[in-house]
Amino acid sequence: MISSLLRKNISKWQLAAYSSACFVGLTILLTSLCFYRDISAAHQSSSNSGYIVLSKPVPLLAALNPGNSAASTFTRSEIDDLISQPWARQVGEFTPADFNISASVDFAGRGLSTALFFEALPDRFIDIDLDPDVWSFSEGHTSIPIIVPRDYLSLYNFGFAASRGMPQVSEELVMQIPLRIAMSGNGFYDVMPARIVGLSSRINTIAVPESFMSWANERYSEKHPSQHHPSRLIVELVTPGDPAIDKWLSDNDIEASHDGSASDRTVFVATIISSVVGIIGIIIAALAVMLLLVSLFLLIQKNSDKIRDLTLLGYRRSKVGEFYYKLVITINTIITIGASAATIFASHLWQKPLEAIGSEPSDRWTVVISAFVVMGVVTAVSVAACRRMINSASR
Amino acid sequence: MENRVSPRLLSINLHLVIPDVFADNDVAGSQIWLCDFSFERGQHYLVEAASGSGKSSMCSFIYNSRRDYRGTLSYDDRDARSLKPDEVSMLRTRYISLLPQELRLFGEITAGDNVRLKNKLTGYCSESDIAAMFERLGIADKIDCPASQLSIGQMQRVALIRALCQPFDFLLLDEPVSHLDGTNNAIAGELVFEAATRQGSSVIATSVGNNLILPTDDIKHVKL
Repeated sequence: MISSLLRKNISKWQLAAYSSACFVGLTILLTSLCFYRDISAAHQSSSNSGYIVLSKPVPLLAALNPGNSAASTFTRSEIDDLISQPWARQVGEFTPADFNISASVDFAGRGLSTALFFEALPDRFIDIDLDPDVWSFSEGHTSIPIIVPRDYLSLYNFGFAASRGMPQVSEELVMQIPLRIAMSGNGFYDVMPARIVGLSSRINTIAVPESFMSWANERYSEKHPSQHHPSRLIVELVTPGDPAIDKWLSDNDIEASHDGSASDRTVFVATIISSVVGIIGIIIAALAVMLLLVSLFLLIQKNSDKIRDLTLLGYRRSKVGEFYYKLVITINTIITIGASAATIFASHLWQKPLEAIGSEPSDRWTVVISAFVVMGVVTAVSVAACRRMINSASR
Repeated sequence: MENRVSPRLLSINLHLVIPDVFADNDVAGSQIWLCDFSFERGQHYLVEAASGSGKSSMCSFIYNSRRDYRGTLSYDDRDARSLKPDEVSMLRTRYISLLPQELRLFGEITAGDNVRLKNKLTGYCSESDIAAMFERLGIADKIDCPASQLSIGQMQRVALIRALCQPFDFLLLDEPVSHLDGTNNAIAGELVFEAATRQGSSVIATSVGNNLILPTDDIKHVKL
């Protein structure tokens, strides 16, 4: 009976205008969010992107003074400065082997031998999912696990093997080849078996576990561990493609090698675009919410005599307000469901091309939950405003 | 109609009360403004005054719909100003009923629905009780008419029925029969008196001349 009394002054046009504007705003907001998440997911699915490897340029006269490599290593303060940059999520140091290494292999009836180098970097930067038992080393271990760049295998297969009449090898086969590693320095000489346990697209070095490197440097190096400075750093980026990265690199005269820069930049631009579109969506939705509040205010103003008379009869304010709360909640629920559905429908427009490059679409539930969270806040604000208006109308 | 269970409101006490707008007026001769006066449950009162002497203000203060007065008004020992909105709602549905002078009916719903709107809140009368009251006041044929189409005298009777659709300790009637003829005045008086007697409650009626005719001599005349 109360609702039939209070319904009289509702302006259907005002509510329709609010509903459509809020629907459009929310849909734009959700679509940009969904697009951004899909693009990021597509970008992260290629493992190179989001990481850069930093090194210092080799000075012109370095070749004349091989003992002095300090100029091309990173100092502690430089590393701290890098860690403090907002675009750097985490920084890992490459630890080089400071001793002589050579590897030999019996392969296709021939014995091959080569001088070699090792580097170690923290496990979290390695893009291969390895069993911790495999990717570790402790004294008494008889075999050294090694990761080599996938590019090295390509160089061998398509450059070296083809021109020398050697057999090409598959990734599976290369991991079966037994290697012998000879290490010397500090008065020690050892030969240990080794095995390639993985091929990496991200790491451009011959990598061994950090635990092996610290053991080996202690045994074969003549330098104290504190004298080792990293000459290369690997950085996981928060915002790949951010121009601030290039600026910092050139300001500090540091070189970066990474393959992902073009796609990083594309994603960075896409992020900016979806942010701008998202902000436009927020503005439209905010204006719509203001329209709703003004409509409610006018409606309650028009009904203020009725609201006062109902409270004079003894109706509680909350009971009188119930009609308005239900109105707001019903409209907002419909808008939320509609905008979520429209966003999921719109996402099909870009889903196909992304799937074509092997990217899984992001979770759609996040979009729906975001919609309900945003509209939950809007509803709470509107209901609170309604309550205030009704309280003042019934006074 | 059912009898209400206690606790009950026993008295409404006014201590040196005066409307803010009367602060500079001469209210000598008033038995209420700037006096100590109590309305006691069970006693009926007829508050007589000239227009503009604050009858409706007094009703609003007692009904707790206005607080623009000086002095203290209390329900038994409870200061009227200390009531929270929900307690005021309870006061208006269980303890004090008001027939406002301006009637305050909702024009867009029927006379019957105006009464039901109140009764739905209190659940005090049955549909047949309501129909019987419409019948006695001679407006049974108006029960389904939009209230806006009624004459002022008919509206006054509808508003009276609405005021009776709740339990009360005090029934405040602000010029309840100003637009009724003698016959309807007497019928209204009987209805009111029956309802009050059944509950052991008080009737407080104001008047500028056309007094509600209550079928009893036990009425205290108060000058405002």
